[in-house]
Amino acid sequence: MLAQFKYAVKYALGIDRAGKHFAVFPDDTFLVSYPKSGNTWVRFLLANLLYPDETVGFANINRLLPAPGVSSKRFLRKLPRPRILKSHEPFDVRFRKVIYLVRDPRDVAISEYHFDLKKGYIEPGVSLEQFVDRFIAGETSGYGSWWEHAASWIAARHGNSAFLVVRYEDLLADSVGETGKIAEFLGIQAGLERLQTAVERSSADRMRKLEKQQADQWTGTKNTRKDIPFVRAATSGGWKETLSLRSAEAIEVAWAPLLNFLGYELLSRQQQSASMPAWVKTGQPL
Amino acid sequence: MPGWNWTEDRGREVFLEQGMYGKMTKYLIGGIKRGLGLHRPGRSLIILPDDVFLVSFPKSGNTWTRFLVANLIYPEQPATFANIHRLIPDPSSTSKRDFNRMPRPRIIKSHECFDPRYRRVIYIVRDPRDVVLSQYHYHRKLMKIGDESPIEAFATRFLAGETCPHGSWGQNVVTWLGTSEKDPHFLLLRYEDMVADTARELAKIVRFLGISASPEQIVHAVERSSVGRMRKLEEAQTDQCELTKGSRKDLSFVRAAGSGGWRSELPAPLAGRIEAAWGPLMRHLGYELSSQSPSEAREVESLGILSSTPQ
Repeated sequence: MLAQFKYAVKYALGIDRAGKHFAVFPDDTFLVSYPKSGNTWVRFLLANLLYPDETVGFANINRLLPAPGVSSKRFLRKLPRPRILKSHEPFDVRFRKVIYLVRDPRDVAISEYHFDLKKGYIEPGVSLEQFVDRFIAGETSGYGSWWEHAASWIAARHGNSAFLVVRYEDLLADSVGETGKIAEFLGIQAGLERLQTAVERSSADRMRKLEKQQADQWTGTKNTRKDIPFVRAATSGGWKETLSLRSAEAIEVAWAPLLNFLGYELLSRQQQSASMPAWVKTGQPL
Repeated sequence: MPGWNWTEDRGREVFLEQGMYGKMTKYLIGGIKRGLGLHRPGRSLIILPDDVFLVSFPKSGNTWTRFLVANLIYPEQPATFANIHRLIPDPSSTSKRDFNRMPRPRIIKSHECFDPRYRRVIYIVRDPRDVVLSQYHYHRKLMKIGDESPIEAFATRFLAGETCPHGSWGQNVVTWLGTSEKDPHFLLLRYEDMVADTARELAKIVRFLGISASPEQIVHAVERSSVGRMRKLEEAQTDQCELTKGSRKDLSFVRAAGSGGWRSELPAPLAGRIEAAWGPLMRHLGYELSSQSPSEAREVESLGILSSTPQ
């Protein structure tokens, strides 16, 4: 009852957390990904690109590249338009223009395991192998399984000109080139120098330093274990050493068609021929 | 957004340019409603793990299915247009308080695209060539479009997903099928199969819900949800139901209630455009394309309706 009253007052004042429940404008762009797929890194890249005069850090990233999940409705409403907003939502039809950031789920699983330990979402005794089984079942995240997330977006929007798929792995391999693609998609005129500066200012080393200074000033790291960092490996393919063969195979068996579609190499030759059915790739009929 | 207020139908925050006092009053009223639980939760509905969702694109037989299920599980209380929003609630028209008072497991109506929070889903799909006709007539009834507005223009907006806030038909269907088709907690039903053998399809729902119902109980629920009965109820209760309140009385909500009407009513070029947009998905669902070659048709038959798996 008290909680309901608090919510009522907050609603009347416009300071209730937006979450899923906020006004989306047709000119919004959403930076969408499954959790632990490089979203924070891209937020830094974009913030550094858009605000070269600001020192982008964890302390101000929620203001510079806001996330409806942690911001109030009033704050979101007052932002200058067009807005760029971060999101982990699976397909949402209201999001018209979307940068979809995707990462090899075998690396996502490891990253999420460490993050969940850091946050205390899982008991310290849970093994990575146990975690992966729950990860595949979609039980480790409120945003559905990795398959559900990626399939919902790709099935509904692939081929649409307002939908840009960016692979985390490509962003690592050619940060400047991929950031350039994102800038072009957003209609930002950015020369090579400006792109390079944004990439340098968002490097893993720099983000690690900022995390040490500002961990308590950011919603993502506040009140979490300090012995596990948020900015962790920042690499791709770590699963080859870290995941057990059983876990890697389980992910491949579960999600081979989408892994193949996204160009992620599979260990099992048998699964390499699994493809997404033609009917899934509807895109937008325009 | 062309011609659509996103917030209106989904119980979402309405953001209108209405001046400071208008806005303040609106938020104050909204705040009081929230304090009392009288607001419609919309997408902020707190979902419980045992909730079952009855999902479809609009105009695909969702209301009929609500009647069928309600008449089966609440035999002492025949479903009507006046009570259906309490029996099988809709987050965008049932109050939060009514939601909280419902017995569990709740069965909830929805038109949303894929939502991972919905753990148990009955998804009803209908031939988009019939859906476009049904939605066209419904929008005339709601006076969203006038009688002079041609079906061709409507079909263009229908294909682009601009006629309702739940995506295009293809998006709505594919986000569910592409993510959940093999999930044991996902039941796919075709409206056409429900029309052809209602009792058989309702028995599938009974098994999916894990409830027991005798064949007599199923037949009884089917009879209580017949088109004739629903038409009579609509006539008597049109102003007591969110779906029809304030709409044109000369057009009915319960319309043809059949399948394949598009063959005579939908201009052939429009059927062709729909097939061009969603052909592979329609074939996957067993909807025969008017434009497909005979060899392609055979291929579909050999796959078997709905038996082909995505992987």
